[in-house]
Amino acid sequence: MSNAPSERPAELVFAVIISVFSVVAFWQAYEISGFSSSHSAGVFPMLAAGTMVLSSFIILCKTATSSVPSHRTIEELRLFFRQVLPFRQFAILVLMAAYLFSMPWLGFIVSSGLFLLISFSYLWGKGILATLSVTAASLASIYFIFRVVFQVVLPQGEWFRGLF
Amino acid sequence: MDILSNFAMSWMDPWLLSLTALGTLAGIYVGAIPGLSVTMATSILISFTFKWPVNEALALIAGVFVGGVYGGSRTAILLNIPGAPSAIATALEGYPMAKRGEAGEAIGLTTVMSVMGGFIGILALALFAPVISDFAILFQSRDYLLLGLIGILLVGTLSGESFAKGVFSGALGVLIGMVGLDPMTAEGRFTFGSIDLMGGIPYVAAMIGFFGVAEALVQLHQLDLKAVKQKIDRIIPRFRDIKRYFWLAIRTSGIGTIIGALPGTGGDIAALLAYDHAKRSTKNPEVPFGKGAKEGLVAPETANNAAVGGAFIPMLTLGIPGDAVTAVIIGALFIHGLKPGPLMLVETPHLFWFTVGNLTLANIFLLIFGLTGIKVFTKIVECPKAILIPLIIVLSAVGTYAIQNNPVHIYWMLLFGVVGYFMKVYGFQVGPVILGVILGPMMDTNYRRTMIAARGDLGSFLWNLVSHPITLVLTLSLILMILSQTPLKRWVMDYLAKRKEVR
Repeated sequence: MSNAPSERPAELVFAVIISVFSVVAFWQAYEISGFSSSHSAGVFPMLAAGTMVLSSFIILCKTATSSVPSHRTIEELRLFFRQVLPFRQFAILVLMAAYLFSMPWLGFIVSSGLFLLISFSYLWGKGILATLSVTAASLASIYFIFRVVFQVVLPQGEWFRGLF
Repeated sequence: MDILSNFAMSWMDPWLLSLTALGTLAGIYVGAIPGLSVTMATSILISFTFKWPVNEALALIAGVFVGGVYGGSRTAILLNIPGAPSAIATALEGYPMAKRGEAGEAIGLTTVMSVMGGFIGILALALFAPVISDFAILFQSRDYLLLGLIGILLVGTLSGESFAKGVFSGALGVLIGMVGLDPMTAEGRFTFGSIDLMGGIPYVAAMIGFFGVAEALVQLHQLDLKAVKQKIDRIIPRFRDIKRYFWLAIRTSGIGTIIGALPGTGGDIAALLAYDHAKRSTKNPEVPFGKGAKEGLVAPETANNAAVGGAFIPMLTLGIPGDAVTAVIIGALFIHGLKPGPLMLVETPHLFWFTVGNLTLANIFLLIFGLTGIKVFTKIVECPKAILIPLIIVLSAVGTYAIQNNPVHIYWMLLFGVVGYFMKVYGFQVGPVILGVILGPMMDTNYRRTMIAARGDLGSFLWNLVSHPITLVLTLSLILMILSQTPLKRWVMDYLAKRKEVR
């Protein structure tokens, strides 16, 4: 997805965020070894972060001069949640975060199973039987490829240790 | 006669023949899964072969290597998720083709061109191995630095709508590549005292996050769009296409072979350089670049497969790995009691021609397996997005975890996925990020080696960049690229024009 530049809500906010991030990154890069020598460990990180600072400022200036100032903050926020982060994206992001952070406790199989089941039923909207069978089939094939064939030790989880 | 019998050994022996075939098939499908890299597949499969006779082990390994490098292109074309870093450029042109329903044609062309690139790499291995290895050993750290700088300028090609955004993405990638303990002094860089950060951020986690998860989130916007029905009646490419791209393929195969033969640089850098070459040398593409130009598909795929043959050159002749996979293979050869390097060609000369024969055979199998089984693969794209997207997320998680069995990498992948999503929404390309992550550490180490060799003196450092013929050629190419790739030339021209007007 790539909207035309003028149609991107909150683009200026994003440009500010990356500029601040770049400045912080440069400060952290300077902290590594400062300007102590021309071949110290911090030279390249400073070069990279410096480039980020420079380019993000250019992006910031360009965005500030070209963005459409007609929207009020409320309108901009409404557009942001409609075009950039609609409820569907937000819901999947939350689900994804819950999935990945629950993995150390539930283990790979249980957490992936739950994630697939919930997201299939939310996005796909078919009957429970169809959703369940697609979940089971996907999980079985992933388990077979990674665990059986490639012998990747999948996270077992604190609560179900020794079960899978 | 000896050469011929060694070359044809695995062609005549049904067991070796089937092992090569099996390796190629396994390589294609493993390479297609993001997170399961060729390096990983090779290391796992090699562990099975430790008790086998050396010929059988080599037959399987050659197949896996050739198939794996090609396999990355499949998911790149169908899902916009490169199966391996060497398929990043393939995704740029292949995915737009799949969006138009031309995935079958894209895969067919990719297969034929990969095989062609593979053959050229092998031919170079067979004919010029000693010459190329002599040339490659002349490369010093300053040359690698220049090579890295030339590579990073590709951001100009990959930046999309705004050059500044491309530069920002590339620099962000370099910064991500710097995280961890400094390889030369063991000082922590951006580690904030955390042990998890000291090992660095694996670029596969960044790659899967920026391409896999970010793409999945972008795709959610088009959930209700009907999946594009893929035309798979035209898998074997048109003769017209092969004729049209023949010379480009020859040139990019050459790039692939040479980059592959340089120690430490493999198919990923070769593919990006070749893509850039195609973009600059093609004046009137049928379809613009970034929208599904076949030139942009042919170039990286010929180059990364030619790099396979190239990577074997320093390995067999000098005992220096050309890339990560050949490093694993060298380890395996040691376990089998062989000494890769100049002595190997004297003590076990048959292995050289046996390997050349094996790689040739693996390429033939690649053609067969590459052009068949596409139906099953294209079904992936026709699968409803509501099923595909959660599956991509789970595959991304398990793929990232599989690299080092470290759950922390999964969180990195998630973070990169979210950052990548917002970057994509606001018109940043994620390709330059990965370019930076791959090239950053290489440039850093080589810059510092060169600087140390110059005793920290800037004058001697700059003199070093022009004092040797190879370095001079690379420096001149870099200057030319800076002029052609960045808006610098335009700024200078505008400035001169303005001054003229004032007068």
